[in-house]
Amino acid sequence: MRLPARPGERLNRDREVTFTYDGNAVRAFEGDTIGSALYASGQRIFSRSFKYHRPRGLLCCSGSCPNCMMTVDGVPNVRVCAEPVRENAVVRPQNVWGSLERDALVVTDKLGGPFTPVGFYYRTMIRPRWAWPLYEKFLRSVAGLGKLDKHGTRANRYDVEHRRARVLVIGGGRAGREAAQQHAVAGMQVVLVDEGFVDPLEGVEVVAPGRALGIWEGGLVPVDAGRVLYRFRAEKIVVATGTIEQPLVFPGNDLVGVMLPDGVRRLIEDWGIKPAEKAVVVTVDEAGREAAASLREAGVEIAGVYDLRRERVREIVARGRGGVLRSVEVDGRKLSCDLLVMSGGRQPAYSLLSQAGARVEYDPGRGVFIPTDIPEGIEAVGSVAGEGLAGAVPAASYNGASGKGKCFVCVCEDVTDKDLKRAIAEGFDSIELAKRYTTVTMGPCQGRLCHVPSIRLYARENEKDEATIGTTTARPPWAPVTLGLLAGRPHEPAQRTAIHHRHKELGAKMMWTGTWRRPHSYGDPEGEAQSVHASVGVIDVSTLGKMIVRGPDSAQFLERLYPNRFGDMKPMRIRYGVLNSDAGRIMDDGTIARLDDETFYVTTTSTGAGAVLEWFEWWNAVWGMDVEIVNVTGGLAAVNVAGPRAREVMRKLTDIDLSNEGLAYLDAREAQIAGVPSLILRIGFVGELGYELHFPSPYGEHVWNEILDAGEEFGIRPFGLEPQRILRLEKMHILVGQDTDSESNVLEANMPWIAKLDKDDFVGKWSLEQVQERGLQDLLVGFEMEDGKVPLEGAQVVLEGTRPIGRITSSRWSPELRKAIGMAWVPAAIAEEGKSFLVTVDGGFERATVRLRPFFDPDGEKLRS
Amino acid sequence: MSGLAFLSPGRASAEAVWCSPLARALEGAPPDVGDLSQTGKIEIRGDLPKSVKGGELNRITPNRGLVLCDFGKTVELLEKLSQDYFAVDVTATLAGLSVRGEQLMRRITDLDLDALPAAGAVSHIQALVTRDGDSFALWFGQEYSDYLAEVVIDAWEGLRE
Ligand code: FES
Repeated sequence: MRLPARPGERLNRDREVTFTYDGNAVRAFEGDTIGSALYASGQRIFSRSFKYHRPRGLLCCSGSCPNCMMTVDGVPNVRVCAEPVRENAVVRPQNVWGSLERDALVVTDKLGGPFTPVGFYYRTMIRPRWAWPLYEKFLRSVAGLGKLDKHGTRANRYDVEHRRARVLVIGGGRAGREAAQQHAVAGMQVVLVDEGFVDPLEGVEVVAPGRALGIWEGGLVPVDAGRVLYRFRAEKIVVATGTIEQPLVFPGNDLVGVMLPDGVRRLIEDWGIKPAEKAVVVTVDEAGREAAASLREAGVEIAGVYDLRRERVREIVARGRGGVLRSVEVDGRKLSCDLLVMSGGRQPAYSLLSQAGARVEYDPGRGVFIPTDIPEGIEAVGSVAGEGLAGAVPAASYNGASGKGKCFVCVCEDVTDKDLKRAIAEGFDSIELAKRYTTVTMGPCQGRLCHVPSIRLYARENEKDEATIGTTTARPPWAPVTLGLLAGRPHEPAQRTAIHHRHKELGAKMMWTGTWRRPHSYGDPEGEAQSVHASVGVIDVSTLGKMIVRGPDSAQFLERLYPNRFGDMKPMRIRYGVLNSDAGRIMDDGTIARLDDETFYVTTTSTGAGAVLEWFEWWNAVWGMDVEIVNVTGGLAAVNVAGPRAREVMRKLTDIDLSNEGLAYLDAREAQIAGVPSLILRIGFVGELGYELHFPSPYGEHVWNEILDAGEEFGIRPFGLEPQRILRLEKMHILVGQDTDSESNVLEANMPWIAKLDKDDFVGKWSLEQVQERGLQDLLVGFEMEDGKVPLEGAQVVLEGTRPIGRITSSRWSPELRKAIGMAWVPAAIAEEGKSFLVTVDGGFERATVRLRPFFDPDGEKLRS
Repeated sequence: MSGLAFLSPGRASAEAVWCSPLARALEGAPPDVGDLSQTGKIEIRGDLPKSVKGGELNRITPNRGLVLCDFGKTVELLEKLSQDYFAVDVTATLAGLSVRGEQLMRRITDLDLDALPAAGAVSHIQALVTRDGDSFALWFGQEYSDYLAEVVIDAWEGLRE
């Protein structure tokens, strides 16, 4: 029931907002929260508890407890007491089988006790073992809070904004506002963040509602402002988070109608709601008395006020029907009521300070934990620092009366005083262990309402003081945050070549290689591969890593890095190189073109570019050689024109001498291609006559288009990565990372000619010498299948008798050779031309024959043609 | 010694068609976002000068700088700078994106916008960011053009929701 309009209320009674709750329309005023509107409409049960499915109602009305969590517009676990109303919002209860009023799972409360004691998941439902899958299925269906739509899409847009603040004040209460104003008057840029509603402050930017989630190094404070996550970097942080009202522990303390004083005050003052007809107040501080005054003023009959500072009460028991409060018994005296206000004192909300590195100490005089040793750059002001906290009776806040119903210490996780006592009896006598075993403080409130009561219970039961029991570790996030907000916008930092959009126009099917998007094929991988053999094809290889290595020591630098020799290379010649780790394992491969005495152009694999660049820079720093390394990967587009008609295509694009004498296999040349300055490398990964053209990326589309035009009369086709893989396999060219792993070395990968062990030294030399000394064990070889079936990559190589002895690394059907071919690691004894082994294919074994020379053009005549 | 001509788009003949890496990505983009890619860019290394005549020097590290200049003057300036420094034409390597509005920038980077130019992460990728009043320029690897344009346009839309 609404009270007459009053000054200071949050409502704009001239504007109505309508939303639906469980399918029924609910009318609210602007300024209402979903929770206040539901309460005003008569709703009292707001949720069912996590484990026992007990009815729960509004408790704090400040977003601190788990009691009002509902699903709003598909987003589960929204605290509706703090969620502003919005037109047409769809609100549903969660964690129920049936309705909030009639939840079938309440059976766990009635019967579950013996079956679901603390830590039950460690000891019940274990036998019979065969039944576990059934238990598991059931438990998974009832566990957790709220449900996500597995097929749902993003319901809301969430953004991240990076902010800076000279002073960031967290908390908009009296102390926070004063601090903000003082700093603003001193001319500083001040931002004030508060979880609730805060009036504007001159000279201060107010972010409200906004929840500070934690304090990280460098003054980083992420603030959840609903749809935007503000990542504040603050030079100074003022923490004015105030205090949190604490509940009392007694039987029935979780009944619907048992509330904290501030929750009651908010209902009356903020939303003009008469919370109940008849109330009882039990308090250890002034807050309870103030709530009683507000209630009286709102026309609520006060059946009794028990101030535990003044009167000695031995036993409080709340009783209800259907989980809703009906009466309170105080030392046996029964008072009927529909509201019980309990005030267990206030506890400084020190979590953010503790996360930032402050120590927390128990103050026995005031019965609270106070933060001390506040780190530099952070200031605590107001009641969070202990200011004005006096007069509570801490011992009274734990007042369990055995045998008269469940006394909840933790309403989030349904942990009772009995559970904690049992944990102590089982030896979990430290509060940190109790937290892990009973899950007390691990629920949605993150200890706001259960931390202090559990410590007090531990102190009493262990006959120690609270200081000795200590606190548990405060960890971020301090306030619950939606995963959507943490995830931010769904963008993937993909790399694309300068020709990317042309590929798409040509119908390419794109795929990921590392972080690059590349054409898998243009729809006909085998046909594309065949056109390279038959005439000419063109592939975008811009993703190759590319570096300029320049300086007087560059040849020596490469000599030391690679097992190959480079000092003897003539300018404008190219060599294939394999890069080793310092343990002699294959890291990467590529080509190295010497452009002049002091300049080399190095290419790497597409996915290895970053690592190779770092590797080069690292060794350059270590050796201190006179070498400059420049990463030009993105600056240059690269395409490979390959096939027997490639030269004819190229002749239409450049006027340099392309004859075998003018530009031989493994020659490099700088020239204009279609008017674009380019570096031409005569190399061939795919086994046919080939020209790799490297040129400034803004001309990627231009050169690509010119090549396709020039090749039209020869039937040129673009080809993707998949046809390239077929073609390279026919040539038995390895793919680093596919045919090699972190243990492969060049000697066993069948490339002994790479390793010049007579060189002075190079990275990984010692390891290769050791391999040579111990003898080769497993070798990378080619194979062809006798029956033409293509084994899976990763399939086992098997010796007669089915013992696995190796694995297939690559396999394809070659339309050119009309054979199933591949590469595999096999023991050295089998790695001889013509020997055979078995391969697992389709659950059976098929025979493969070892091939050591390329399947296609073994003498490289086509490449050199 | 090789002049590394193949790195310089400025050496292309008139028949060659320049296509900005951002051309497609910015089709239909809002007016607050623009393409600066066809700007001359030269990386120089060594003891950096205080300024570069004919270009705007941005210091990335104490001995590494990025000179921005008129596209048509890049080759000429490169040759001049090469006499005193290790200089490389990175015109093709970096895309340039202009962004108007501080709040839009705050949605994509945590760089201190009052301490620009600076190099750092912009939506997970490395960029050099320069500022002129309320206008910002992002210089980053051109292969991320589609990605970064998508991010910026999306952030712009987010501010209008
Ligand atoms: S009643 Fe909403 S969080 Fe406590």
